[in-house]
Amino acid sequence: MRLFEYQGKELFVKYGIPIPNSRVVRELAEVDAAIDAVGLPAVVKAQVLAGGRGKAGGVAVVRSEQEARTEAARIMGLRISGEKPSALLIESATVDPKEMYLAVTLDRGKRCFVVIASKAGGVEVESLAGRVIEPVPLDGLTTERATSIATRIGFTGGETRASYVDILLKLERLSREVECELAEINPLAIAGDTLMALDSKIILDDNALFRHPEFAQLPPEDPMEGEAAKEGFAFVRLDGDIAVVGNGAGLVLSTLDLVSDAGGKPACFLDLGGGSQQDRVEAALRLVRRLPNAKKVLVNIFGGITRTTDVAAGLKNVITEQPMQPVYARISGAEEAEARKMLEGTPIRLYATAPEAVKAVVSAG
Amino acid sequence: MTSSIYLPERGEPIIVQGITGRFGSLHTKLMLQYGTNVAAGVTPGKQGETIEGVPVYDKVFDAVERTGAKASILFVPAPFFLAAAEEAILAGVKLLVSITERIPVRDELELISLAQEHGVTVVGPNTPGVILPGRKVKMGIMPAPSFRPGRIALFSRSGTLMYEIANQLSTHGFGQCVALGIGGDPINGKPITDYFDWIRDFDEADAVVTVGEIGGDTEEKLAQYIKDTGFPKPVFAYVAGRAAPKEKKMGHAGAIIYGNFGTAESKISAFKAAGVQVAMTPMEIPELVGRKLRPS
Repeated sequence: MRLFEYQGKELFVKYGIPIPNSRVVRELAEVDAAIDAVGLPAVVKAQVLAGGRGKAGGVAVVRSEQEARTEAARIMGLRISGEKPSALLIESATVDPKEMYLAVTLDRGKRCFVVIASKAGGVEVESLAGRVIEPVPLDGLTTERATSIATRIGFTGGETRASYVDILLKLERLSREVECELAEINPLAIAGDTLMALDSKIILDDNALFRHPEFAQLPPEDPMEGEAAKEGFAFVRLDGDIAVVGNGAGLVLSTLDLVSDAGGKPACFLDLGGGSQQDRVEAALRLVRRLPNAKKVLVNIFGGITRTTDVAAGLKNVITEQPMQPVYARISGAEEAEARKMLEGTPIRLYATAPEAVKAVVSAG
Repeated sequence: MTSSIYLPERGEPIIVQGITGRFGSLHTKLMLQYGTNVAAGVTPGKQGETIEGVPVYDKVFDAVERTGAKASILFVPAPFFLAAAEEAILAGVKLLVSITERIPVRDELELISLAQEHGVTVVGPNTPGVILPGRKVKMGIMPAPSFRPGRIALFSRSGTLMYEIANQLSTHGFGQCVALGIGGDPINGKPITDYFDWIRDFDEADAVVTVGEIGGDTEEKLAQYIKDTGFPKPVFAYVAGRAAPKEKKMGHAGAIIYGNFGTAESKISAFKAAGVQVAMTPMEIPELVGRKLRPS
């Protein structure tokens, strides 16, 4: 789960990582008070989870109260990759900072957490100059190791290096205790002797949320994704017109590829999960029935632990209870003959193989 | 530290941790039906019960002592998984097949560290398990009819895609000596290259089929390994997720593209550069295999 910038900065404050004076604003009427509190010049930033916020015009430096109001209104009205800002973060602008990159993240290849540190800043982490990548032991970084990282990226000593080491140790502790997949400060600003986190990017380990109930209360990013999660489905909304439903993440992923290769556009990814029962099939179909952009539905089931007759019973119930989009299905595996028989006389179109079902759903008007 | 892989021989005893749960008891029955020697089960507080005729113990240590099992399959819920896995390792178990999914990353890292220290093979987590059709050993939840004895080694990050491809292979006369789910999480108990190290000298395998998906750099690292070590057996690959959006977890915790990292294109081109035959759909796999191998 990704946190908003302001939520990440709340964690920074809790762990003692310095951030600029800032206020979260949810209504335009609160902008004046926020500016009074943080002073001018200030930065007004859209609180969205989508990337590319700066390029989309979601960040503005303002030098007067009037400008703050105008920019706040403009940014609140933006859609950034389709996402409406859920709030604004208004904070005092740091004058002419030097920007650096610092993160603690999971390195899947090395199978451990690593610190990624660079004295250069930038959006493209992969190409940061003088980047240092240092594995982090499971029980955390020592001061010696943190100091060595600081020295290697070019802090030769003194107050600034001490502050940098302090921030690094705090960020690593935050990442470990809150169980983050990524805890990133980009940019970490240096102005004179002062270091400050100007932005935050925190991605929590979803699987560890049971140990962190304070985050489990946060509303889901997409209400329909939240609903699907409650049912135990993996669901991702996409922008095409063919809802793709199947059992097993890999199988559904592969079905998206088949649809896209045939010239179709998926409306969603929905994985029923292994061992799916009739009620889950029904819940999934009722969900895609309400998906506004889904004009057609493709169901791809490879029955193994999932019983194809359970799937057929679920399909039949949902399609006969009320009208829905045309359903194209490939149901294969144990008891498939019986499953096909159960669906005879229903509007569900059945195909023997996945490519045939895909071809039919894509070419249908 | 060791990279060797240990899998059971025909008839070797295994234990089931979390045997009394709905999923654990169902699959105990199916594994027994397949011919696997499920010798004992473990669920704390349930000692003295039996599941499908299999005795249940409170502690792994007792189950291991009574049966001599060196392999365990775990259906333990995620919050209790790490403790259960540690208990098994300390009781002397050498293979852990972790069906459990949704395990926190930090628990997985702790498990890996302990497993390496004790020379333990961890399959998964978030895996359908492993099946050795020629040995009648099934430690997993895969549907048995899709798998036939034969000479292909099949590795997959995804469950149903493994069943689908095994089924295609079996239908075309290409059985499997082993089919194993390496796991759908960002971190796997064993890196896939360890399995390839094992297959290199495993004389039951003539070729390898590997099923990848978006996210991470497992496939890129594997391609590099195949090239660098001159892997001697033909390798066939399929990679799911060419049409997947970025920054979205596609079902598996590990199936996510960040920026340009973890794309299907990157994996496919790495495989091609390493001389791996890449299928664009699961259905193409048997055809590619058929160009190099004879069906049985």
